[in-house]
Amino acid sequence: MGLESPFIPYLATLKTATQLTPDIKLLSVELEGPDIRASFDYKPGQFALLSAFGEGEAPFGIVSLPLQRDGLEFAVRRIGTVTRALQELEPGDTLGVRGPFGNYFPLEDYVGKNVIVIGGGIGMAPLRPVINRILERRNDYKELLIINGARTPQDLVFQPEFPTWMKAPGTKLELTVDRGDEEWKGRVALVPDVVKELAPSPDNAIAIICGPPIMIRFTLARLRDLGFKDNQIVTTLEAKMKCGLGKCARCNIGEKYVCQDGPVFTLEQLSQFLEQP
Amino acid sequence: MNLFASKDDLIRWLDSLLQKHIVVAPVRVQGQTMFQPISKVEEVIFDFDNTTLSPKGWFLPPTETLFSVQRDDGKVELVPTLVEHDAVIFGLHPCDAKGIALMDGPFLQEPSDALYRERRSRTALIGLACCQVQPECFCTSMGSAPDDPSNVDILLTEVEDGYIVQAVTEKGKALLPKGLVEYKGKVPTPPKLQTVPTKEVISAMRELFNDPYWEQLADRCLHCNICAYVCPTCYCFDMRDYADKGKVERVRSWESCQSPGFSLTAGGYDPRTTKGERLRQRFYHKLLYFPEQFQDVACVGCGRCVRDCPVNIDIREVISNLQQVTEAKSGS
Repeated sequence: MGLESPFIPYLATLKTATQLTPDIKLLSVELEGPDIRASFDYKPGQFALLSAFGEGEAPFGIVSLPLQRDGLEFAVRRIGTVTRALQELEPGDTLGVRGPFGNYFPLEDYVGKNVIVIGGGIGMAPLRPVINRILERRNDYKELLIINGARTPQDLVFQPEFPTWMKAPGTKLELTVDRGDEEWKGRVALVPDVVKELAPSPDNAIAIICGPPIMIRFTLARLRDLGFKDNQIVTTLEAKMKCGLGKCARCNIGEKYVCQDGPVFTLEQLSQFLEQP
Repeated sequence: MNLFASKDDLIRWLDSLLQKHIVVAPVRVQGQTMFQPISKVEEVIFDFDNTTLSPKGWFLPPTETLFSVQRDDGKVELVPTLVEHDAVIFGLHPCDAKGIALMDGPFLQEPSDALYRERRSRTALIGLACCQVQPECFCTSMGSAPDDPSNVDILLTEVEDGYIVQAVTEKGKALLPKGLVEYKGKVPTPPKLQTVPTKEVISAMRELFNDPYWEQLADRCLHCNICAYVCPTCYCFDMRDYADKGKVERVRSWESCQSPGFSLTAGGYDPRTTKGERLRQRFYHKLLYFPEQFQDVACVGCGRCVRDCPVNIDIREVISNLQQVTEAKSGS
């Protein structure tokens, strides 16, 4: 009889791996055991720790929605040893899943509001379930504006879903890249500049941002220029993380543990942290 | 009721404990005093300054396997490490016992850490009151005392010809040997310690986060991590996989917030890039964040970090300085 250890992952099978960009794959994962599948309930914004056994464990936002019964999805960018090993898994291979961990985007609180979703690069990952949940309950929300930036056109992450997002009622998808190519006819601009150009109104609005720290910093400034209050701006933090349980203290920032108190915080909350993440 | 055990009684008692328990006690190893499992009572030393390392490693080992990964015909099974023995830690000083009580905060908080919890519930603590103190000791300023019985199961106090035996908990009572007589003599007065004023330290911490003090203090820090290594309450850890000859294990090991890269993310972002930021993190975790979360400062005043820091960064001085800097600021 083993101990009920929170460090022991659930076993799962890789069902499919889809190349989304040159360095990002969408992994679709099925937990082993119907009881575990049924009890693994999560909300947009929560994350899980994935194990590539022999290489280690790392945190990833869950990019699927709970009602998607065909499995959990994770967008994994190849950036280190664990992510490389996860990308090298073949369908049918076993991996580990611990979670779900952390808080989530309180989408119930945004009912009746205009929602602006701003994502850069792999930062679109935790925002994808936000977009898809809003589209699933389209009438609950007003206008949805998605601003999605990447380094190059081929680095835009969820391209197979762009047609659905563009066609959805009351929804606008604005794409931008840092560097175009021969075929790219869209914007070549940085995300903060696109925010400035499109100038979404702060009235009855909430802005949700995720991306590289530098993008977040300048985007926050543009949103404030537009009159967004700190409690109308929500982001999700990236942090070094090991246990996911508020014990190993790796993600401790100021008085907070990103794995337990976060990863989702309003700018108002972040500005009260003693230490700035 | 206080009991009395002669030195011979104590040796016989330890010998009987060894029959059914792993007994972890202070022993001399290559010039260091360490808590280690003993095989015979003669190894135990009774008269020692604070050990080189605290006994925290019994509950949170410097390196341990959390589970091993077994593959059989493509099928994966995760085999957890088990805790299979009852144990007694003999001879720990009250400061180290308090260190263990403080570690209970993060590790027993739900969902509790299974290995820590099992070791904790299967281990009894037999403490030894300090009859002398070292120049670095300041436990009385940190809410403990050389004769503090509050975090052990049994407390022993050395007197002439033997020990006063005070059973503190039911777990302790169950371990007592039969036939000890009541101690009716005088209980020795504990040694006096230097005092480090701590009254204003938490409010000072709130004021001084962005003060240049931290970079100045860290200027001489070598980020050698010895402070965290010897500290009875430093508990940050790392988790990695080790694969050797087809055998795969997930291993946890001690880590320190003083290491460059402690908070570096895969994407290359690090919220703490300077030594000052990292040193500040250590003191803030101990003196502000931990108290906010678990209602007590994460320092027991054992003085090990003071004794071992190669550049004399002294937590007693930091605590005093912080209060002085705030006083100077509010006075100006």
